[in-house]
Amino acid sequence: MTDLGHPDAELTAFATGGLPPAERARVAAHLDDCASCRRTVEESRVVLTALAREIPAPAPPVGRRYRAELRARLQPPTPGRWWARPLPAMVAAGVATAVLLVAVYGLDRRPGELATVEETMLGARLPLLRQYRVIERLDLLEDLDAIRYLDRSGNGGS
Amino acid sequence: MTQGHSDETLCRRIADRDEAAFDVLVERYQGRAYRLAWSLLRNAEDARDVSQEAFLRVYRTAGRFRGEARFSTWFYRILVNLCLDHRRRGSWWRRLLVRDDGAGDPERAVLERQPAPLADPGETVGRTQLMFRLWAAVDRLSPQQRAALLLHVQEELPTGQIATVLGCTEATVRVHLHRAVGVLRKTVRRD
Repeated sequence: MTDLGHPDAELTAFATGGLPPAERARVAAHLDDCASCRRTVEESRVVLTALAREIPAPAPPVGRRYRAELRARLQPPTPGRWWARPLPAMVAAGVATAVLLVAVYGLDRRPGELATVEETMLGARLPLLRQYRVIERLDLLEDLDAIRYLDRSGNGGS
Repeated sequence: MTQGHSDETLCRRIADRDEAAFDVLVERYQGRAYRLAWSLLRNAEDARDVSQEAFLRVYRTAGRFRGEARFSTWFYRILVNLCLDHRRRGSWWRRLLVRDDGAGDPERAVLERQPAPLADPGETVGRTQLMFRLWAAVDRLSPQQRAALLLHVQEELPTGQIATVLGCTEATVRVHLHRAVGVLRKTVRRD
């Protein structure tokens, strides 16, 4: 019962006969004296009966097809291709990540910068390179072929 | 033969991986499962997917069914929880999609929802429009209220069984039903 004494929450259950006998008797006694709750019960019956009579639903799926789909979902997943398995997939993901990192950091250079290997190579030859005036004429140290063949070009020291 | 067995017996057999028992149980419940899922989700594809998922859960977890409640109660609980989860997950993007319940096409929805013609055409139209508004109001109820109402009206479950399905007390179910019916009564009164 509520503060006002109306058994609001029980009225719908009463309308559908869903109350145990003791509660039903209590609500029925209340209804004898309460026109408002009687109207609520009557309206609830009308609404619930209408809903039950006209339940909207599409045609159910064809049983055989439905069960065939279900059976297909029931089967354990096939092993599939080797690259689809967890370990190769993880290895592949790791390799892909490494390639991506190399690509990103490798490309993240200002124009004219040399790759690490090339820098190392040139660094090791710095004393030698200082002897070649041709280097002064290079705008960028990108022309590795020119540097590589300085000895043969005959420009050294000239 | 498994046809004559109770749901509970079939479920125990499913726990032992008896696929024939599973087939019988699916055949027995697929109509109800699909219809309830459709009523809660209002989308044919989702209803198909979620109701099938409920059967898969039964197959995988049949061993956990202890038989303390009826199989139907246990199954409805799985199904309703899946439907409520599905609605929660899809609520933000679902609004962007066209639903297949005819909500955007009242005429189509009215035709689908009309079970049988009545004698008086004027009365038929008025009644059909009223039923359309009534079911539209059901759609706007909270998920718990709607689930309680549909289990009561559509599946004819008593409040005690609905409480077990929804995992709440019977008193809470009565409150859900009372509030749901209250909204629907107001809809009828406005007519």
